[in-house]
Amino acid sequence: MQTIDISYPLMLTMFGLLLLPIAICYYLKIPVVKTTIIAVSRMTVQLVLVALYLEFLFRVNSIWLNFAWVLVMLLVANSSIINSSGLRVRVFFLPLFAGVAIGTLVVVFFMVFITVQPQPFYDARYIIPITGMVLGNCLRANVISLERFYSSIRKNEKEFLSYLLMGATLKEAVAPYMREAAKAAFAPTIATMTTLGLVSLPGMMTGQILGGSLPVVAIKYQIAIMLAIFSATVLTAVINIRLSMGVSFSEYHTLNKQIFSG
Amino acid sequence: MITFDNVTVRENGQTILNGVSFSIAPQERAVFFGKSGAGKTTILTTLIGAFRPAAGTILFSGNPVTGSTVHELRRAVSYISQQPVMGADRVEDALLLPFTFKANRSGRPARETIERILSRLHLEPGLLEKESEVLSGGEKQRVAIARELLQNKQVFILDEITANLDPESKAAVLELFGSSPFTLLSVSHDPDWLKMCTSFYRVAQGAVTGPVERPDYSEMVR
Repeated sequence: MQTIDISYPLMLTMFGLLLLPIAICYYLKIPVVKTTIIAVSRMTVQLVLVALYLEFLFRVNSIWLNFAWVLVMLLVANSSIINSSGLRVRVFFLPLFAGVAIGTLVVVFFMVFITVQPQPFYDARYIIPITGMVLGNCLRANVISLERFYSSIRKNEKEFLSYLLMGATLKEAVAPYMREAAKAAFAPTIATMTTLGLVSLPGMMTGQILGGSLPVVAIKYQIAIMLAIFSATVLTAVINIRLSMGVSFSEYHTLNKQIFSG
Repeated sequence: MITFDNVTVRENGQTILNGVSFSIAPQERAVFFGKSGAGKTTILTTLIGAFRPAAGTILFSGNPVTGSTVHELRRAVSYISQQPVMGADRVEDALLLPFTFKANRSGRPARETIERILSRLHLEPGLLEKESEVLSGGEKQRVAIARELLQNKQVFILDEITANLDPESKAAVLELFGSSPFTLLSVSHDPDWLKMCTSFYRVAQGAVTGPVERPDYSEMVR
Protein backbone atom coordinates (compact mmCIF):
# COMPACT_ATOMS: atom_id res chain seq x y z
CA MET A 1 0.00 0.00 0.00
CA GLN A 2 1.48 3.35 -1.10
CA THR A 3 1.06 6.65 0.79
CA ILE A 4 -0.92 9.22 -1.20
CA ASP A 5 1.49 11.98 -2.15
CA ILE A 6 0.28 15.55 -1.66
CA SER A 7 0.89 17.71 -4.71
CA TYR A 8 2.52 21.11 -4.17
CA PRO A 9 -0.61 23.10 -5.11
CA LEU A 10 -2.69 20.99 -2.68
CA MET A 11 0.01 21.44 -0.03
CA LEU A 12 -0.57 25.18 -0.38
CA THR A 13 -4.19 24.66 0.69
CA MET A 14 -2.89 23.66 4.12
CA PHE A 15 -1.10 27.01 4.34
CA GLY A 16 -4.45 28.54 3.33
CA LEU A 17 -5.97 26.88 6.39
CA LEU A 18 -3.53 28.92 8.47
CA LEU A 19 -5.40 32.08 7.48
CA LEU A 20 -8.24 31.05 9.81
CA PRO A 21 -6.25 30.98 13.11
CA ILE A 22 -4.26 34.05 12.04
CA ALA A 23 -7.50 35.95 11.35
CA ILE A 24 -8.89 34.92 14.75
CA CYS A 25 -5.69 36.04 16.54
CA TYR A 26 -5.65 39.29 14.58
CA TYR A 27 -9.32 40.00 15.33
CA LEU A 28 -8.93 39.23 19.04
CA LYS A 29 -5.63 41.18 19.15
CA ILE A 30 -3.77 38.12 20.49
CA PRO A 31 -0.16 39.20 19.92
CA VAL A 32 1.09 36.06 18.17
CA VAL A 33 0.49 36.82 14.48
CA LYS A 34 4.04 37.92 13.69
CA THR A 35 5.67 35.16 15.74
CA THR A 36 3.35 32.56 14.16
CA ILE A 37 4.30 33.67 10.63
CA ILE A 38 8.01 33.54 11.56
CA ALA A 39 7.59 30.11 13.21
CA VAL A 40 5.67 28.65 10.23
CA SER A 41 8.23 30.05 7.79
CA ARG A 42 11.13 28.67 9.81
CA MET A 43 9.44 25.28 10.16
CA THR A 44 8.80 25.07 6.42
CA VAL A 45 12.33 26.07 5.39
CA GLN A 46 13.94 23.80 8.00
CA LEU A 47 11.82 20.80 7.03
CA VAL A 48 12.36 21.32 3.30
CA LEU A 49 16.11 21.47 3.86
CA VAL A 50 15.99 18.39 6.11
CA ALA A 51 13.88 16.55 3.51
CA LEU A 52 16.46 17.30 0.83
CA TYR A 53 19.29 16.27 3.14
CA LEU A 54 17.50 13.13 4.31
CA GLU A 55 16.81 12.09 0.73
CA PHE A 56 20.51 12.50 0.05
CA LEU A 57 21.40 10.57 3.25
CA PHE A 58 19.01 7.73 2.43
CA ARG A 59 20.31 7.47 -1.12
CA VAL A 60 24.01 7.47 -0.14
CA ASN A 61 23.45 5.56 3.13
CA SER A 62 27.09 5.91 4.21
CA ILE A 63 28.09 4.94 7.73
CA TRP A 64 30.24 8.09 8.09
CA LEU A 65 27.57 10.47 6.81
CA ASN A 66 24.89 8.89 8.99
CA PHE A 67 26.95 9.16 12.15
CA ALA A 68 28.11 12.67 11.23
CA TRP A 69 24.42 13.67 11.02
CA VAL A 70 23.78 12.05 14.41
CA LEU A 71 26.70 14.08 15.79
CA VAL A 72 25.19 17.29 14.37
CA MET A 73 21.86 16.44 16.00
CA LEU A 74 23.61 15.86 19.35
CA LEU A 75 25.53 19.16 19.13
CA VAL A 76 22.42 21.18 18.26
CA ALA A 77 20.36 19.48 20.98
CA ASN A 78 23.11 20.11 23.53
CA SER A 79 23.31 23.84 22.74
CA SER A 80 19.55 24.11 22.82
CA ILE A 81 19.36 22.37 26.23
CA ILE A 82 21.98 24.68 27.77
CA ASN A 83 20.48 27.88 26.32
CA SER A 84 16.91 26.99 27.28
CA SER A 85 17.98 26.06 30.83
CA GLY A 86 19.34 29.56 31.41
CA LEU A 87 22.89 28.26 31.80
CA ARG A 88 26.14 29.38 30.20
CA VAL A 89 27.08 27.42 27.05
CA ARG A 90 30.81 28.02 27.63
CA VAL A 91 30.69 26.37 31.09
CA PHE A 92 28.41 23.43 30.33
CA PHE A 93 29.05 22.51 26.70
CA LEU A 94 31.49 19.64 27.28
CA PRO A 95 29.95 17.93 30.35
CA LEU A 96 26.43 18.14 28.98
CA PHE A 97 27.48 16.99 25.52
CA ALA A 98 28.96 13.91 27.17
CA GLY A 99 25.69 13.35 29.09
CA VAL A 100 23.43 13.84 26.07
CA ALA A 101 25.63 11.65 23.86
CA ILE A 102 26.00 8.79 26.37
CA GLY A 103 22.32 8.74 27.40
CA THR A 104 20.98 8.98 23.85
CA LEU A 105 23.41 6.73 22.02
CA VAL A 106 23.23 3.87 24.54
CA VAL A 107 19.45 3.74 24.07
CA VAL A 108 19.40 4.34 20.30
CA PHE A 109 22.07 1.71 19.69
CA PHE A 110 20.19 -0.73 21.91
CA MET A 111 16.92 -0.18 20.03
CA VAL A 112 18.46 -0.18 16.54
CA PHE A 113 21.15 -2.85 16.86
CA ILE A 114 19.49 -5.26 19.29
CA THR A 115 15.72 -4.83 18.83
CA VAL A 116 15.15 -3.65 15.22
CA GLN A 117 18.35 -5.07 13.62
CA PRO A 118 18.23 -3.29 10.21
CA GLN A 119 20.53 -4.36 7.39
CA PRO A 120 22.98 -2.65 7.19
CA PHE A 121 23.08 -1.81 10.90
CA TYR A 122 23.74 1.90 10.18
CA ASP A 123 20.73 2.22 7.84
CA ALA A 124 19.82 5.93 7.76
CA ARG A 125 16.06 5.13 7.58
CA TYR A 126 16.27 3.77 11.13
CA ILE A 127 19.22 5.49 12.82
CA ILE A 128 18.27 9.06 11.91
CA PRO A 129 14.55 9.18 12.74
CA ILE A 130 14.92 7.10 15.91
CA THR A 131 17.77 9.33 17.15
CA GLY A 132 15.68 12.38 16.28
CA MET A 133 12.64 11.20 18.22
CA VAL A 134 14.66 10.16 21.26
CA LEU A 135 16.73 13.35 21.23
CA GLY A 136 13.71 15.63 20.80
CA ASN A 137 12.09 14.20 23.91
CA CYS A 138 15.35 14.18 25.89
CA LEU A 139 15.80 17.83 25.03
CA ARG A 140 12.54 18.85 26.69
CA ALA A 141 13.20 16.70 29.76
CA ASN A 142 16.76 17.95 30.21
CA VAL A 143 15.73 21.59 29.95
CA ILE A 144 13.20 21.00 32.74
CA SER A 145 15.56 18.99 34.95
CA LEU A 146 18.58 21.29 34.67
CA GLU A 147 16.57 24.49 34.99
CA ARG A 148 14.64 23.15 37.98
CA PHE A 149 17.72 21.68 39.68
CA TYR A 150 19.91 24.78 39.58
CA SER A 151 17.18 27.36 40.10
CA SER A 152 15.85 25.56 43.19
CA ILE A 153 19.33 25.32 44.75
CA ARG A 154 19.81 29.02 44.01
CA LYS A 155 16.39 29.90 45.45
CA ASN A 156 16.87 27.72 48.55
CA GLU A 157 20.49 28.57 49.20
CA LYS A 158 20.10 28.72 52.99
CA GLU A 159 18.34 25.37 53.06
CA PHE A 160 21.06 23.86 50.86
CA LEU A 161 23.81 25.28 53.10
CA SER A 162 22.03 23.98 56.17
CA TYR A 163 22.23 20.43 54.75
CA LEU A 164 26.00 20.89 54.32
CA LEU A 165 26.17 22.15 57.92
CA MET A 166 24.35 19.02 59.07
CA GLY A 167 27.21 16.97 57.66
CA ALA A 168 25.78 16.17 54.23
CA THR A 169 28.19 15.55 51.39
CA LEU A 170 27.57 17.54 48.20
CA LYS A 171 25.73 14.56 46.68
CA GLU A 172 23.55 14.23 49.78
CA ALA A 173 22.87 17.97 49.95
CA VAL A 174 21.69 18.17 46.32
CA ALA A 175 19.64 14.97 46.52
CA PRO A 176 16.26 16.62 47.37
CA TYR A 177 16.65 19.12 44.50
CA MET A 178 17.70 16.37 42.11
CA ARG A 179 14.69 14.24 43.01
CA GLU A 180 12.29 17.16 42.45
CA ALA A 181 13.95 18.14 39.17
CA ALA A 182 13.94 14.56 37.87
CA LYS A 183 10.31 14.04 38.86
CA ALA A 184 9.27 17.16 36.96
CA ALA A 185 11.34 16.14 33.94
CA PHE A 186 9.99 12.58 33.74
CA ALA A 187 6.35 13.48 34.39
CA PRO A 188 5.42 14.48 30.78
CA THR A 189 6.80 11.22 29.32
CA ILE A 190 5.07 9.13 32.00
CA ALA A 191 1.80 11.01 31.39
CA THR A 192 2.16 10.49 27.63
CA MET A 193 2.72 6.74 28.07
CA THR A 194 -0.31 6.52 30.35
CA THR A 195 -2.70 8.09 27.84
CA LEU A 196 -1.14 6.90 24.59
CA GLY A 197 -3.75 5.52 22.23
CA LEU A 198 -6.60 6.92 24.35
CA VAL A 199 -5.98 10.66 24.24
CA SER A 200 -3.60 10.84 21.31
CA LEU A 201 -2.43 8.70 18.45
CA PRO A 202 1.33 9.07 18.50
CA GLY A 203 3.24 10.54 15.57
CA MET A 204 5.44 7.57 14.80
CA MET A 205 2.53 5.14 14.72
CA THR A 206 0.37 7.47 12.62
CA GLY A 207 3.27 8.03 10.24
CA GLN A 208 3.87 4.34 9.81
CA ILE A 209 0.19 3.60 9.23
CA LEU A 210 0.01 6.39 6.65
CA GLY A 211 3.19 4.94 5.14
CA GLY A 212 1.45 1.60 4.62
CA SER A 213 2.57 -0.42 7.63
CA LEU A 214 0.20 -2.80 9.37
CA PRO A 215 -1.20 -1.32 12.62
CA VAL A 216 0.35 -4.18 14.62
CA VAL A 217 3.81 -3.36 13.22
CA ALA A 218 3.26 0.34 13.85
CA ILE A 219 2.26 -0.37 17.44
CA LYS A 220 5.37 -2.47 18.06
CA TYR A 221 7.53 0.42 16.87
CA GLN A 222 5.52 2.88 18.93
CA ILE A 223 5.95 0.84 22.12
CA ALA A 224 9.67 0.40 21.40
CA ILE A 225 10.18 4.13 20.79
CA MET A 226 8.27 5.11 23.95
CA LEU A 227 10.44 2.75 26.01
CA ALA A 228 13.53 4.17 24.33
CA ILE A 229 12.39 7.75 24.95
CA PHE A 230 11.71 7.11 28.62
CA SER A 231 15.01 5.27 29.14
CA ALA A 232 17.01 7.98 27.39
CA THR A 233 15.15 10.71 29.28
CA VAL A 234 16.07 9.17 32.63
CA LEU A 235 19.65 8.42 31.58
CA THR A 236 20.43 11.83 30.08
CA ALA A 237 18.71 13.80 32.86
CA VAL A 238 20.52 11.96 35.66
CA ILE A 239 23.90 11.85 33.89
CA ASN A 240 23.63 15.53 32.95
CA ILE A 241 22.89 16.66 36.48
CA ARG A 242 25.77 14.58 37.81
CA LEU A 243 28.28 15.68 35.14
CA SER A 244 27.24 19.34 35.31
CA MET A 245 27.82 19.38 39.08
CA GLY A 246 31.55 19.14 38.41
CA VAL A 247 31.58 22.67 36.98
CA SER A 248 28.74 24.20 39.02
CA PHE A 249 30.00 24.13 42.59
CA SER A 250 33.00 25.78 44.21
CA GLU A 251 35.53 23.90 46.30
CA TYR A 252 33.42 25.14 49.26
CA HIS A 253 30.49 23.26 47.66
CA THR A 254 28.53 26.46 47.13
CA LEU A 255 26.78 27.11 43.83
CA ASN A 256 28.82 29.21 41.38
CA LYS A 257 26.52 32.06 40.38
CA GLN A 258 28.52 32.53 37.17
CA ILE A 259 26.91 29.41 35.70
CA PHE A 260 23.67 31.30 34.98
CA SER A 261 23.42 33.12 31.68
CA GLY A 262 20.88 35.72 32.85
CA MET B 1 38.98 29.47 68.36
CA ILE B 2 37.72 31.54 65.38
CA THR B 3 39.87 34.23 63.79
CA PHE B 4 39.19 36.49 60.83
CA ASP B 5 42.51 37.91 59.67
CA ASN B 6 42.05 40.81 57.23
CA VAL B 7 39.23 39.01 55.39
CA THR B 8 37.84 40.63 52.26
CA VAL B 9 34.83 39.27 50.41
CA ARG B 10 33.67 40.37 46.98
CA GLU B 11 30.42 39.44 45.30
CA ASN B 12 29.37 40.53 41.80
CA GLY B 13 32.28 42.98 41.68
CA GLN B 14 31.26 44.67 44.97
CA THR B 15 33.36 44.53 48.15
CA ILE B 16 30.96 43.36 50.85
CA LEU B 17 33.52 42.71 53.59
CA ASN B 18 36.61 44.86 53.67
CA GLY B 19 39.65 43.69 55.64
CA VAL B 20 37.67 42.24 58.56
CA SER B 21 39.74 41.11 61.55
CA PHE B 22 38.61 39.77 64.92
CA SER B 23 39.21 36.79 67.15
CA ILE B 24 36.64 34.85 69.16
CA ALA B 25 37.81 32.72 72.11
CA PRO B 26 36.15 29.44 73.19
CA GLN B 27 32.95 30.03 75.20
CA GLU B 28 32.90 33.70 74.19
CA ARG B 29 29.39 34.99 73.48
CA ALA B 30 29.99 37.54 70.72
CA VAL B 31 27.42 39.75 69.06
CA PHE B 32 27.85 41.78 65.88
CA PHE B 33 25.69 44.88 65.62
CA GLY B 34 25.23 47.71 63.14
CA LYS B 35 22.83 49.11 60.59
CA SER B 36 20.98 46.92 58.15
CA GLY B 37 23.19 46.15 55.13
CA ALA B 38 26.42 46.78 57.09
CA GLY B 39 27.67 43.22 56.48
CA LYS B 40 26.77 41.44 59.75
CA THR B 41 25.07 38.44 58.15
CA THR B 42 27.85 38.23 55.54
CA ILE B 43 30.40 37.78 58.35
CA LEU B 44 28.41 34.84 59.72
CA THR B 45 27.76 33.22 56.34
CA THR B 46 31.38 33.71 55.25
CA LEU B 47 32.44 31.73 58.29
CA ILE B 48 30.30 28.77 57.22
CA GLY B 49 31.71 28.94 53.70
CA ALA B 50 28.90 30.61 51.80
CA PHE B 51 31.52 33.00 50.40
CA ARG B 52 35.14 32.35 49.66
CA PRO B 53 37.34 35.25 50.85
CA ALA B 54 39.05 37.16 48.05
CA ALA B 55 41.81 38.04 50.53
CA GLY B 56 42.73 37.25 54.12
CA THR B 57 42.43 34.08 56.18
CA ILE B 58 39.84 32.53 58.43
CA LEU B 59 41.22 30.28 61.14
CA PHE B 60 39.16 27.68 62.97
CA SER B 61 40.84 26.02 65.96
CA GLY B 62 44.14 27.35 64.62
CA ASN B 63 43.76 25.86 61.13
CA PRO B 64 43.10 27.91 57.99
CA VAL B 65 39.66 27.32 56.46
CA THR B 66 40.14 26.17 52.88
CA GLY B 67 38.23 24.09 50.36
CA SER B 68 39.48 20.92 52.00
CA THR B 69 38.88 21.96 55.65
CA VAL B 70 35.60 23.89 55.34
CA HIS B 71 33.69 20.63 55.65
CA GLU B 72 35.23 19.92 59.08
CA LEU B 73 34.29 23.41 60.20
CA ARG B 74 30.72 22.89 58.97
CA ARG B 75 30.43 19.68 60.92
CA ALA B 76 31.59 21.48 64.09
CA VAL B 77 29.50 24.64 63.90
CA SER B 78 25.80 25.29 63.85
CA TYR B 79 24.08 28.05 61.86
CA ILE B 80 20.55 29.13 62.71
CA SER B 81 18.80 32.07 61.08
CA GLN B 82 15.61 33.98 61.82
CA GLN B 83 13.68 31.54 59.61
CA PRO B 84 15.15 28.14 60.41
CA VAL B 85 15.05 25.34 57.85
CA MET B 86 12.98 22.33 58.92
CA GLY B 87 13.85 20.09 55.96
CA ALA B 88 11.16 17.46 56.66
CA ASP B 89 7.38 17.28 56.94
CA ARG B 90 7.26 15.76 60.46
CA VAL B 91 9.04 17.32 63.44
CA GLU B 92 10.69 14.03 64.42
CA ASP B 93 12.03 13.60 60.88
CA ALA B 94 13.28 17.19 60.91
CA LEU B 95 15.14 16.51 64.17
CA LEU B 96 16.66 13.32 62.81
CA LEU B 97 17.52 14.76 59.38
CA PRO B 98 21.28 15.14 60.10
CA PHE B 99 21.40 11.46 61.04
CA THR B 100 20.18 10.42 57.59
CA PHE B 101 23.54 11.60 56.21
CA LYS B 102 26.35 9.06 55.98
CA ALA B 103 28.70 11.05 58.23
CA ASN B 104 26.24 11.00 61.18
CA ARG B 105 24.38 7.71 60.77
CA SER B 106 26.14 5.99 63.65
CA GLY B 107 25.24 8.84 66.05
CA ARG B 108 21.45 8.60 65.71
CA PRO B 109 20.08 9.59 69.15
CA ALA B 110 17.69 7.51 71.24
CA ARG B 111 14.14 8.71 71.86
CA GLU B 112 14.98 9.57 75.51
CA THR B 113 17.85 11.82 74.42
CA ILE B 114 15.56 13.65 72.00
CA GLU B 115 12.91 14.14 74.69
CA ARG B 116 15.52 15.35 77.23
CA ILE B 117 16.83 17.97 74.79
CA LEU B 118 13.29 19.06 73.88
CA SER B 119 12.52 19.59 77.56
CA ARG B 120 15.64 21.80 77.93
CA LEU B 121 13.95 24.04 75.38
CA HIS B 122 10.55 23.77 77.10
CA LEU B 123 9.09 21.67 74.27
CA GLU B 124 6.68 18.76 74.85
CA PRO B 125 7.49 15.27 73.43
CA GLY B 126 4.06 15.32 71.72
CA LEU B 127 5.51 17.85 69.30
CA LEU B 128 7.50 15.06 67.61
CA GLU B 129 4.41 13.69 65.90
CA LYS B 130 3.30 17.09 64.56
CA GLU B 131 3.71 18.43 61.03
CA SER B 132 6.55 20.98 60.83
CA GLU B 133 4.25 23.34 58.95
CA VAL B 134 1.86 23.82 61.86
CA LEU B 135 4.58 24.90 64.34
CA SER B 136 4.77 28.52 65.43
CA GLY B 137 7.89 30.52 64.57
CA GLY B 138 9.12 30.12 68.14
CA GLU B 139 8.59 26.36 68.14
CA LYS B 140 10.41 26.02 64.81
CA GLN B 141 13.32 28.01 66.18
CA ARG B 142 13.55 25.79 69.27
CA VAL B 143 13.28 22.60 67.16
CA ALA B 144 16.15 23.90 64.99
CA ILE B 145 18.25 24.52 68.12
CA ALA B 146 17.34 21.08 69.51
CA ARG B 147 18.55 19.51 66.26
CA GLU B 148 21.93 21.20 66.66
CA LEU B 149 22.17 20.08 70.30
CA LEU B 150 21.49 16.50 69.20
CA GLN B 151 24.61 16.78 67.02
CA ASN B 152 26.63 17.91 70.06
CA LYS B 153 27.61 21.16 68.38
CA GLN B 154 29.50 23.59 70.59
CA VAL B 155 29.84 26.60 68.28
CA PHE B 156 26.66 28.43 67.35
CA ILE B 157 26.32 31.03 64.61
CA LEU B 158 23.02 32.74 65.22
CA ASP B 159 21.41 35.33 62.98
CA GLU B 160 18.68 37.34 64.77
CA ILE B 161 17.26 34.20 66.32
CA THR B 162 15.22 36.01 68.98
CA ALA B 163 13.56 38.36 66.48
CA ASN B 164 9.83 37.58 66.21
CA LEU B 165 9.90 35.01 69.04
CA ASP B 166 7.03 34.82 71.50
CA PRO B 167 8.03 35.54 75.15
CA GLU B 168 8.01 31.85 76.15
CA SER B 169 10.27 30.79 73.28
CA LYS B 170 12.60 33.72 73.81
CA ALA B 171 12.97 32.95 77.52
CA ALA B 172 13.80 29.32 76.73
CA VAL B 173 16.39 30.30 74.11
CA LEU B 174 18.03 32.91 76.34
CA GLU B 175 18.11 30.48 79.26
CA LEU B 176 19.77 27.78 77.15
CA PHE B 177 22.48 29.95 75.61
CA GLY B 178 23.05 31.96 78.80
CA SER B 179 23.68 28.86 80.89
CA SER B 180 25.68 26.65 78.48
CA PRO B 181 29.42 26.73 77.72
CA PHE B 182 28.86 27.29 73.97
CA THR B 183 30.85 29.64 71.76
CA LEU B 184 28.44 32.08 70.15
CA LEU B 185 28.80 34.35 67.14
CA SER B 186 25.57 36.21 66.75
CA VAL B 187 23.84 39.07 65.04
CA SER B 188 21.14 40.71 67.09
CA HIS B 189 19.44 43.98 67.93
CA ASP B 190 17.61 42.47 70.89
CA PRO B 191 18.59 44.19 74.21
CA ASP B 192 17.84 40.96 76.14
CA TRP B 193 20.19 39.00 73.88
CA LEU B 194 22.88 41.64 74.32
CA LYS B 195 22.64 41.35 78.10
CA MET B 196 23.55 37.68 77.76
CA CYS B 197 26.52 38.30 75.41
CA THR B 198 30.08 38.88 76.62
CA SER B 199 31.71 40.69 73.67
CA PHE B 200 30.49 43.27 71.16
CA TYR B 201 31.62 44.08 67.62
CA ARG B 202 30.42 47.06 65.61
CA VAL B 203 29.94 46.45 61.87
CA ALA B 204 29.78 49.38 59.44
CA GLN B 205 30.19 49.36 55.65
CA GLY B 206 31.70 45.90 55.59
CA ALA B 207 34.29 46.61 58.30
CA VAL B 208 34.42 45.49 61.94
CA THR B 209 35.53 47.42 65.01
CA GLY B 210 35.86 45.61 68.28
CA PRO B 211 35.54 44.30 70.79
CA VAL B 212 33.86 47.49 71.98
CA GLU B 213 32.05 48.44 75.19
CA ARG B 214 28.54 47.06 75.68
CA PRO B 215 26.40 49.35 73.45
CA ASP B 216 23.01 50.77 74.36
CA TYR B 217 20.11 50.31 71.95
CA SER B 218 20.48 53.64 70.11
CA GLU B 219 24.16 52.90 69.50
CA MET B 220 23.38 49.46 68.07
CA VAL B 221 21.51 50.75 65.04
CA ARG B 222 23.54 53.91 64.52
